[in-house]
Amino acid sequence: MNHSAIRNGLGYTTLALMIIALFMVFDYVPPEAEQGIAQLIFYFHVPLAWVAFASFGLVAIAGIFYLWLGDQLWDDLGYAAAETGMVFCTLMIVAGSIWAKPIWGTWWTWDSRLTTTFILWLMYGGYLMLRASADDTPQVARFAAVVGLVAALDVPIVIASVRLWRTIHPAVLVTRQGGHGLEDPRMVATLLVCLAAFTAFWAWLLMLRFTQLRARSRMGALAVRIAFARAAAADLK
Amino acid sequence: MSAPVVETHRLAKTYGLAPVLREVELRLLAGAGAFIVGGNGAGKSTLLRILAGLEAPSDGRALVFGQDTRRLGARYRRRIGVMAHQSFLYPNLTARENLEFYAELYSVADPRASAIQWLDRVGLAGVADTRVRAFSRGMEQRLSAARAMLAEPGLLLLDEPFASLDHDGAEIIEALIRGAVERGASVIATAHAVPEIAGVEFAAYEISRGRIAQQAHQEEVRRGGRLRTLLGR
Amino acid sequence: MAGDSARCWADRTLSGFAAVLRKDLRLELRSGESTLALLALSMLVLVVLVFALDAAHVRSVEVAAGALWVAMVFAGMLGANRALLAERDNGAIRGLLLSPLDPGTLYAAKLAAALIFMLIAEVGAVILMVIFFNLDFDASTARLAPILVLGAIGFSALATLLSAITGRTRSGDMLLPILAVPIFVPALIAGVKASAAALGGAPLASMGDWLRIMIAFDVLFVVAGYLLFEQVVGEN
Repeated sequence: MNHSAIRNGLGYTTLALMIIALFMVFDYVPPEAEQGIAQLIFYFHVPLAWVAFASFGLVAIAGIFYLWLGDQLWDDLGYAAAETGMVFCTLMIVAGSIWAKPIWGTWWTWDSRLTTTFILWLMYGGYLMLRASADDTPQVARFAAVVGLVAALDVPIVIASVRLWRTIHPAVLVTRQGGHGLEDPRMVATLLVCLAAFTAFWAWLLMLRFTQLRARSRMGALAVRIAFARAAAADLK
Repeated sequence: MSAPVVETHRLAKTYGLAPVLREVELRLLAGAGAFIVGGNGAGKSTLLRILAGLEAPSDGRALVFGQDTRRLGARYRRRIGVMAHQSFLYPNLTARENLEFYAELYSVADPRASAIQWLDRVGLAGVADTRVRAFSRGMEQRLSAARAMLAEPGLLLLDEPFASLDHDGAEIIEALIRGAVERGASVIATAHAVPEIAGVEFAAYEISRGRIAQQAHQEEVRRGGRLRTLLGR
Repeated sequence: MAGDSARCWADRTLSGFAAVLRKDLRLELRSGESTLALLALSMLVLVVLVFALDAAHVRSVEVAAGALWVAMVFAGMLGANRALLAERDNGAIRGLLLSPLDPGTLYAAKLAAALIFMLIAEVGAVILMVIFFNLDFDASTARLAPILVLGAIGFSALATLLSAITGRTRSGDMLLPILAVPIFVPALIAGVKASAAALGGAPLASMGDWLRIMIAFDVLFVVAGYLLFEQVVGEN
């Protein structure tokens, strides 16, 4: 599998899709009746959230495969997915905050989607801190796999509990969920293109980081082989 | 010929970039004993830990009772007794409580009786109800030996069993090893030098820089003079 | 024959579980540090919250419930750390790993010990909460019991698994709350909401949704802990 060909392909795809997406969001799609131009953030929020959650799912799946098969490849994939996902999750949180201030006058609103994403962000943070503080132990990959897995299994319960929490105490400032309510087919089209663009962006970054980590792991394995060969050579003296 | 109790095939282990074991080949039959001799850092303890199933090899395989050490089931773990540098004893429990606890874990028939019996054997009956934190290093070592052997395991892995022991203590451990071999157990022990154990035949291996460099029967070593070490020959 | 070996396994597992739990309780009884520290910490946290929330003259079940759960989470964190501490002396954890004891059974025993300590701390915290936050000892306090037990099970299950990991890393003590709190959020939300409702006089039947969330959390983490513990305790 030619890694750099895939990487470059993803890069160009991302560029193309992003340009189209930006055009569609700012020029093509009609503004929504009630919220006006501020609603446009929705076309970035939804894809960012999707990517953040999907990436965490990948961390968990890679963790399962690592625990089962023991191949370093899965650990590298999980780590790459965690770092990449963290980037998009942070973007989503920051976008939410920047948008909330001029519109609602507060830096943050505890609506169910933002709250859940924030919890996810904390889980990402914990995972990455674990990686950082355990990187000198040989079991770090195993620890990270377990933490990623249990955190991911917890996410559905987080979603359920936050949703229940919000319906009992609806936030004073409610973000437009906008799942159904996309009457105009142009809105649907724009959303789909944005989803595709951000997914491509995520996949491209993931590939970049993954190939870096793979190279590092392979070098590590080589270094061990060299150490063995050196020791064997020393025997002959 | 019966199946070997312990077997290794091209066993290798690295810690980071340091190869600690390289291409170790070992075979031990039932009822046989082996001493693995080497200096500090030669890899003796690592080898024992891999055979006990505590660590996985980086390369190659180790088999105990025919099972890969990476997947030792409960039934096989019960047949292995391990003595290490650390005693695995709880300082705030008494000697008797420690032994009873391990006897229960190893499904020994009558844990209380077994604990008393083994305390006797290692000469600690007098301090049975003293907490281990008050023990000297030698006493702890003796108790650790009792802990390792009370389930009458088929394989004993002993890491420097004579360290920190005075003459009396060493005699006690010697007697225990002799008893174990007499009832058909296999023993692998490590040491800095090959000791003399009356009445027991041991194969002797030297491990140096991660490889088993030389193998000589204990008899040959004894012929060269009592307590003569293999190192520097 | 198969029935025999199944019974054998059950016997062995039960006796192994009992042996480890008995040992931990005996060790705790001898030193008594953990339980005393847990109770003290719970009390101090509640005191801080009384001042911080200016609740000295207010009678609010929401504030009381929230304070109670904050105290519980802090105490639970401390308790979990100590559950595996005893095994560090003389490498005792290796003795356990070498024994025929199933890692899952070891997890169950450690979970039980952590749970017992946390429940003791909870009783103390509830008493202090009623006193500090101007509530009454009545039926509503008793209705807290199942909610707090569910919360303790979930937190102990999670923290026992995580502390096996964080205990072996560099900044382990700080890392445990960083990992545990976000994951515990759903049970925390449910627990606080249900506790506030119970203290306000609502029957348990009305909190079905919250209790279901806590039960789901507990089942998930007890099972996950049981299955994954052996991945994180060993050296390979």
